[in-house]
Amino acid sequence: MDILLQLIGRLHPLIVHLPIGFILLGILLQFYDRKQGEFKRVVSLIYLWGALSATLACITGYLLYSGEGFSFDSVKWHLWSGMATAVFAFLMFDNLREKTLLKALNKIPVLWMSLLFLLLISFTGHLGGNLTHGSEYLVEPLPNSVKSRLGFPVFEKKPIVLNAENWRDTPFYEGVIAPILNNKCVSCHGPKQAKGGLSLHTKEAILKGGENGAVIVTDTPDKSELYARLILPEEDEEHMPPKDKTPMEKAEIELIASWIAQGNPFEGTLGDFGLDRELFLSFFPKKVVLDHPDLEIPKAEKDSITAIEAHNIHVDVLSGDTHFLSVSCINKPNFADADFEILRPISQQIAVLDLGGTQITDAVLDKLAALPNLTVLKLDNTDITGATIAKLTALEHLRDLNLTYTPFQEKYVSLFPEFPNLNKVYLYRTNTTAQGLVPLAEGRITLDYGQYELPPIPSDSIVY
Amino acid sequence: MKSSIEKLIREKQVREAEVKTRRHFIKSCAQGMGGLALSSIFMGCDPLRKPAPQNTMAFSERDLNPLSTLAPPYGPKVKSVIYLHMAGAPSQLEMFDYKPQLHKYHGQDCPQSLLEGKKFAFIKGTPKLMGPQAEFKQEGESGNWVSNFLPHFKKVVDEVAFLKAVHTDQFNHGPAQLFMHTGSPRLGRPSIGAWATYGLGSVNQNLPGFVVLTSGGNAPDAGKSVWGSGFLPSVYQGVQCRSQGDPVLYIEDPKGMSRDLKGRTIEAINAINKKEYTKYADPEILARINQYEMAYRMQIAVPEVMNINNEPEHIKQMYGVAPGKESFANNCLLARKLVEDGVRFVQLFDWGWDTHGNVRSGSIDLGLRNKCREIDRPMTALILDLKQRGLLDDTLIIWGGEFGRTPMQENRGNKKMAYKGRDHHGDAFTMWMAGGGIKKGASHGKTDDIGFSGIEGRVSVHDVHATVLHLLGFDHEQFTYEFQGRHFRLTDVEGEIIHEILA
Repeated sequence: MDILLQLIGRLHPLIVHLPIGFILLGILLQFYDRKQGEFKRVVSLIYLWGALSATLACITGYLLYSGEGFSFDSVKWHLWSGMATAVFAFLMFDNLREKTLLKALNKIPVLWMSLLFLLLISFTGHLGGNLTHGSEYLVEPLPNSVKSRLGFPVFEKKPIVLNAENWRDTPFYEGVIAPILNNKCVSCHGPKQAKGGLSLHTKEAILKGGENGAVIVTDTPDKSELYARLILPEEDEEHMPPKDKTPMEKAEIELIASWIAQGNPFEGTLGDFGLDRELFLSFFPKKVVLDHPDLEIPKAEKDSITAIEAHNIHVDVLSGDTHFLSVSCINKPNFADADFEILRPISQQIAVLDLGGTQITDAVLDKLAALPNLTVLKLDNTDITGATIAKLTALEHLRDLNLTYTPFQEKYVSLFPEFPNLNKVYLYRTNTTAQGLVPLAEGRITLDYGQYELPPIPSDSIVY
Repeated sequence: MKSSIEKLIREKQVREAEVKTRRHFIKSCAQGMGGLALSSIFMGCDPLRKPAPQNTMAFSERDLNPLSTLAPPYGPKVKSVIYLHMAGAPSQLEMFDYKPQLHKYHGQDCPQSLLEGKKFAFIKGTPKLMGPQAEFKQEGESGNWVSNFLPHFKKVVDEVAFLKAVHTDQFNHGPAQLFMHTGSPRLGRPSIGAWATYGLGSVNQNLPGFVVLTSGGNAPDAGKSVWGSGFLPSVYQGVQCRSQGDPVLYIEDPKGMSRDLKGRTIEAINAINKKEYTKYADPEILARINQYEMAYRMQIAVPEVMNINNEPEHIKQMYGVAPGKESFANNCLLARKLVEDGVRFVQLFDWGWDTHGNVRSGSIDLGLRNKCREIDRPMTALILDLKQRGLLDDTLIIWGGEFGRTPMQENRGNKKMAYKGRDHHGDAFTMWMAGGGIKKGASHGKTDDIGFSGIEGRVSVHDVHATVLHLLGFDHEQFTYEFQGRHFRLTDVEGEIIHEILA
């Protein structure tokens, strides 16, 4: 019997289209007939059919709701409005009959009633569509900018936030397992829908399991459905997530296994369970080091670039996905301090500046401070002594500074910690004495003094 | 004498006939068919893919200067590449891929199951396994294995990322080298350096964008096609420079030719060439114009950059250079100088790694050790020198051969060889990369107990190419050139970025 009821329930998506068709036909015909009133009886008959099929839809809909594990909260509006539609269809039928039962309704203009009817059937249909396709079905294809303007979340994924420094402090369930389940399972096994009677959005729901019982056998992942289904061959019908959904990452599957193996704890941090760092490597953020600030800036004028290139100064867009520029004076060794003015029109766009091997002096650093987005600066093979290096502390994005082969003086090294974003300074062949890599500002800055050596060893001269 | 003059006259007549018919055709159909044909030529060859010029034939910057720089589509990690190719295929089993188990099986017959269906260049019958002929130690913080054949290199082991299970389907030098450098074992494809220069151009106007340096006494077996431009315009091919004698042949002006006169001659030639181009729109004419101009500028710039004598003594010692001779050390120092001067792609070939065991210089325990000594100091110095100049973050260094060598001792003609040797082997070999965007101290891939095949993290030659293009700021699937009616890629229809070695 249950099977039969479930089967009938599954006819709901088919049957709902009958009342929709009848009712829309009735409304259209009624509108067409608004002056003559010739088809009143036909329209009334159509509404009767609509009412009967709507009733049938309500019954199958209820069976579907009870047979497929939808939560009442998610279907209630569809259910109520569907029933209202059926009732309204009977009312309309009655209203258009010659001998109406409810006289009071006759006082309301028929066109108003039809309009209300149209709204009701559209509303019900829309809610039903939301249930089968998800409430974002119509919004999803829209571009993100439109989506956010309409007030829809751009994506609902819970990110797994881990990093190499403090991953141990992340709660095992809240910080790792819950987001994985949320991102890969909860759309079908959650508050809106609980396929197979299973929902995975809360501790209680997970422990309760599905219609076939518990999905976790504590400490034994291999016997736990929650894990075992993830590692079935993809073609297997039981494999989860289903073929057309986003598959689980290998690392995510391993984490679910180790969570079950650890006794599926809902409290405690990753560190508490002595988990291997390797398990989380793929979740650590990839450090993207860009040669420019993470900012949107306007494109440089084509004309100003052409004008600069006419001076034999090389200007390049850093890459196709940014407007930042890289400027090199490799073809203009006679570039002097005064020539800096040539670069003014693109001062906002310059992120990488190579003044290596030019005629610049300490005075130019004052001007360089006017390049707000400068990230990589090469001053090698010039006469920079460092006397004005403090001027560059105004550059909040400056990350790499190359001073090799300059008379840069040791005493100015102590100024580097005042640079807000400085990461690397090359000091090979300067007026300094150190050798190799020297950390500064608690390791934020690395000074590379170079002077690397490969002393001769006996085997250098052994010929076999 | 007479016959050669006749030959020239005949050639002149043939050329004239060719030109006349084409000229006649294009002239008479200048507005119609010609225009159509030209527009298709333009669409096919213009790397910027601008719409075809309709009536006026304006020069784009790239037309006039094919080496002018282009922005890579995505954020690049490196600006230049130095590719150190050990032509002949070095033995991974004596350098980086430590196989202690192979010691145990030393002298035993190679199991038949490994030999079935495999092709070897020389091995016949059932060869015997040969244990590692070098001693290995874990070096640096990364604990990666380096043999005692490379005593200097162990100092920079934490700077490089190893690929331990590269594989190729070619087992002879020529095709394998072509595959490694052009993505196809057959002739006709552009080399990786040509792709890079085509896609990015080159910053320095006085130097070629793609320079090739060879050492070891021979050019690579595959010939110059390994640095050729294939179907790309020929301006993108590698320019071979010599580290002995004049860096480029005939770079000096002949006696009696002043630089000024040379300059004006080239101006006149190029003016004529530009006229020719407006008529026929053949991109090769532009390449020629540019090459004339570049050659003129190179006459000054190249001898300067190719002169290692002005380098300070400690640098010369560090690399172990031998001025005036052709050596890998000289070439490594030159590679640094070239990259410092903005050259996009520097390709080094060092010949002599084919250690079959047939001669002393080609033996695993003697000849290989000499080759290792020749590269050990220079390639280590190259990494350190680039590092201290702040150039390593902008440069990618790639090291490798065209394939690897067998865990079995070679038994050419089913006989015992004069020396210990290993045959060609493409199933698993080691490469390494260092520089910008590379995960320092990484080691990706694992071979089986005897180093026969990769069992984990196997990567193909296409994967290596995809990774190199990625580091230069390209998506290898999008970076194409239309030729003969279809889009060609360096990675053909394969290749996956090896994220495991990326920082």
